[in-house]
Amino acid sequence: MTREELDLLEEAAGAWRPRDRSGAVKGHPAWHDLDDTARRRAFVETTRLRALEAALDPDGLSSTGHAVLQRIRGR
Amino acid sequence: MSDLDQHLDAIVAGDTAAFGRWVAGAEPRVRGSLSRFAEAVDTEAVVQETLLRVWNVAPRFRPDGRPDGLVRLAVRIARNLAIDETRRRRPALMDDKELQRAAEQASPAPTPSDPMLRQLIAACLDALPARPAAAIRQRIAARGGQPDHALATAAGMRLNTFLQNIRRARVGMERCLERQGVSLPAGGTP
Repeated sequence: MTREELDLLEEAAGAWRPRDRSGAVKGHPAWHDLDDTARRRAFVETTRLRALEAALDPDGLSSTGHAVLQRIRGR
Repeated sequence: MSDLDQHLDAIVAGDTAAFGRWVAGAEPRVRGSLSRFAEAVDTEAVVQETLLRVWNVAPRFRPDGRPDGLVRLAVRIARNLAIDETRRRRPALMDDKELQRAAEQASPAPTPSDPMLRQLIAACLDALPARPAAAIRQRIAARGGQPDHALATAAGMRLNTFLQNIRRARVGMERCLERQGVSLPAGGTP
């Protein structure tokens, strides 16, 4: 993979996601720029990152879990 | 293994902390159920949208007497979202039989928590070089609430430098954990 592709993959592996006008969660722009091989790799890296985040968190929540709770709580 | 439906009454009552405890147990199973869709949909977006929908529909959920009913509902919601998105964006990627197989794929079992794991990961985080450590700490502290370009600016780095430091941190932590005999989830076989 090129350095640019690796950067896109790393961005896609983060938990931040945009929303559409209705408030629905949308795919990350970086994910849409990845090819199929990189998307499979992004899935694996995301799974591993979330496991790390959850293991570090006192409540066992990954960044995904925190993002969802922040949304529910209106923050 | 505990039944995550133990949190259901509190969730229905609007207790977001209880929902957080449910999410901590349910998220890996929802994500794992989407492994076959990894090429077709941004599974992170599907997982978040699924968890938000579960919160909204939980008051109307009726348990069937089997454990983890709300998790099973979440897996169905996630797969339906993924199938809809696949049909919309990549109709040639999967035929109906493949979609059905994906929908019937068994949900992975939850990973039991290890009280030692947190200590090991924290030690590996502390052992990272300064800039990768700063980048990954910033990412974790943001809790998915800010895009990386904003985090990079706050860290005083260009976006590509920030992302390269995140990668160095992730790889460094995984190697550190491997030396301790800890393997992270493989992420399924999409």
